[in-house]
Amino acid sequence: MTAIETSSLKRTYGDVTALADLSLTVDEGELFGLLGPNGAGKTTTIEILTGQLRPDSGTARVLGVDPVAEPVEVRRRIGILPEQESPPSFLTAREYFDFVGDVRDLDDAVVEDRVADWADRLSYENKLDTLCADLSRGQQQKVMVTQAFLHRPDLVFIDEPLVNLDPIVQERLKRFLETYPEDGNTIVLSTHDIDVAEELCTRVGVLVDGELVAERRPAELSPDESLLDVFLADVGSTAADLNPSQHATADPSGGE
Amino acid sequence: MTVVRRLFVEMLREEWRMHSHLFGGLRFAAFPIFIALVGGATAWALTETGTDVSTIVAGVHVLVLFFGLQTGTVGLLGRDVMQNLLGDVSLLVFSGHTLPISQRGLLGVFLVKDALYYSLLFLLPITLALAPALALPALPLLWSTLVLTFVLGATVTLTVVAILTRGVNRLAVVLGGVGLLALVWYARAAIVPFTPLGLYEQPTIVRAVVVVATIAVLGVVGVAGYDPEYAKPSRTAENAYARWRDRVPGGDPLVAKTLLDVSRSSGGFGKVAVSAGVLLAVSVFLVDLVADITRIEPRPGIAFGCILALTAFTTYNWLTQYDDVSFYQRYPIPVSRVFDAKGVAFAIVGFPVSIAFYVAAAWWQGAGLLDAVAGLALLVGLQPYLFGLTVALAGLDPNEFLFDTTRFALYTLGIALVLVPVLIAAIAIPVVEPVHAAGFVGVGAVAAVVGVVLYRRSIPGWTERVRNG
Repeated sequence: MTAIETSSLKRTYGDVTALADLSLTVDEGELFGLLGPNGAGKTTTIEILTGQLRPDSGTARVLGVDPVAEPVEVRRRIGILPEQESPPSFLTAREYFDFVGDVRDLDDAVVEDRVADWADRLSYENKLDTLCADLSRGQQQKVMVTQAFLHRPDLVFIDEPLVNLDPIVQERLKRFLETYPEDGNTIVLSTHDIDVAEELCTRVGVLVDGELVAERRPAELSPDESLLDVFLADVGSTAADLNPSQHATADPSGGE
Repeated sequence: MTVVRRLFVEMLREEWRMHSHLFGGLRFAAFPIFIALVGGATAWALTETGTDVSTIVAGVHVLVLFFGLQTGTVGLLGRDVMQNLLGDVSLLVFSGHTLPISQRGLLGVFLVKDALYYSLLFLLPITLALAPALALPALPLLWSTLVLTFVLGATVTLTVVAILTRGVNRLAVVLGGVGLLALVWYARAAIVPFTPLGLYEQPTIVRAVVVVATIAVLGVVGVAGYDPEYAKPSRTAENAYARWRDRVPGGDPLVAKTLLDVSRSSGGFGKVAVSAGVLLAVSVFLVDLVADITRIEPRPGIAFGCILALTAFTTYNWLTQYDDVSFYQRYPIPVSRVFDAKGVAFAIVGFPVSIAFYVAAAWWQGAGLLDAVAGLALLVGLQPYLFGLTVALAGLDPNEFLFDTTRFALYTLGIALVLVPVLIAAIAIPVVEPVHAAGFVGVGAVAAVVGVVLYRRSIPGWTERVRNG
């Protein structure tokens, strides 16, 4: 079954083309990685697929629903973890989850159980009654991860989920992300961390200048091949681009 | 010195870009012209109706002092406050950890930048607006004293913020401020001569030295006392969300969140009342002014009902201050539902506060029964009108549109269209007869309907705007 299907999605912001021609399919049960350099169109893709943004042209289906025509229905069925977003400043973490439970029609008891579960998994039980504004960046990220999975959605869009988390919590979250698709759920992971994508994703797509230029399965890479090599080839770079001394030679001023 | 100069230039550029980005480039550039025109028209109207120029000049100084007190406060209070107001915004003033300049140095440059920026973009047009009423040689002096007034306000704010960063109890600071205000009011005859206004009225060396020295001391104390490492203690709270949700109509979680945001932010619901109190004070002043000019006492019920309806703007501003429509876009919540929730929260908070102030004002000013009923009908009818007008013009960002020339002009026109005729009627009618009261009730009802229509018709447009990015 297909979780996401897009055809020729286009989106511009003034003179800037964010998505040029995106056609993409993600199956249910996949942990799909969305890779690409800065400005490649990853965030725009997620915003369109989650019904937050309208494309200029093209079509999309998310869990069988058109996110342009029925954005609220799409958001009812999915979870979203935006990149580096803070939870509401003046609510405590517990109050925020109650709010999320209400807007997602969850029973209070269910919310309470799941919050306890997540607080234990991500180690922030003692922060549940702290105002979100007073949480550290890492604690805020834990809260945001929790809200994205609170209703156990069929499909979750997560943008840099591990950012600001300590290594132990990162590992716990990675183990969770690995197992979540086993029940037929789907995860779309947008990240710049190639190692994480290689470790977790069943398949990755590389976006460059708003187009999907490659799709790979990390499990099918040969032993002498890394996802980083693949990524560099796909975005038109070489290993030499990773060596700052060569840039220094080419541009002695070191500036732009 | 080169670093400081460069920083100063970049901060100026940053301020301009922030405003022009928020309020639409050329439209923001036109704002000083708009200020000059509106200020000039107001000054002309006041002088034509017999108001003394010195009264106008004093009023302008008071307004600029308040402007100085609040301008820069956002910048000084920190990145999180900026984020709540403007989204993901960071300013150079917060770059103390990454630039080779101290946070205090950044703060000092930030203040000087604010002084220059607002002196040129806002205070100069205000000065020019008074040109027809003043002798030409008085204008440079007026501009100078307005700049000093603005800087005085900004340095007072900085000093208060510096005290707060030293961990002094907020309540103690508030009580101290109230005590100081009372002292200033009690001793105003002795103090005002040594303020920028006093300097304008009688420019002497002694007054100039005292004014400049006061500002310098406040500036130095503020910058030196500001603790850049200060972090507010972590706050915890019992779960109040469910309690709020159970109290609001339909158990709407968005209404509950909005009310919780306001109650937990600085000042709590008190700030809604304070805004209404300030408006009440202004309306008392205006009603007295009208009485002085026309030698006719306006009907207090009608006048106060009309003017206090303007609390709709400040109340709506508080209700929309702490979140952004993009937040709700992560959930299965249509944009229209966000507006509806703000409307319900507005009814819950705005009506009781404004009615309480209205009843107090009407009783205090001795409004007759029919006058009071007419005023109440106007208050209750005009608030939905102003709510609808604000939503139609500003969506969920009412604080931003104040600097958007076109929208602000439309808002001013929308207010004037209703308020001016009603206020004139309040002056022209010697005794409120039943037929008059019925007429005002009708005006209130029609205004409310217009407000609801404006609101309803604007929502699809705002929804489209959000979805189109």
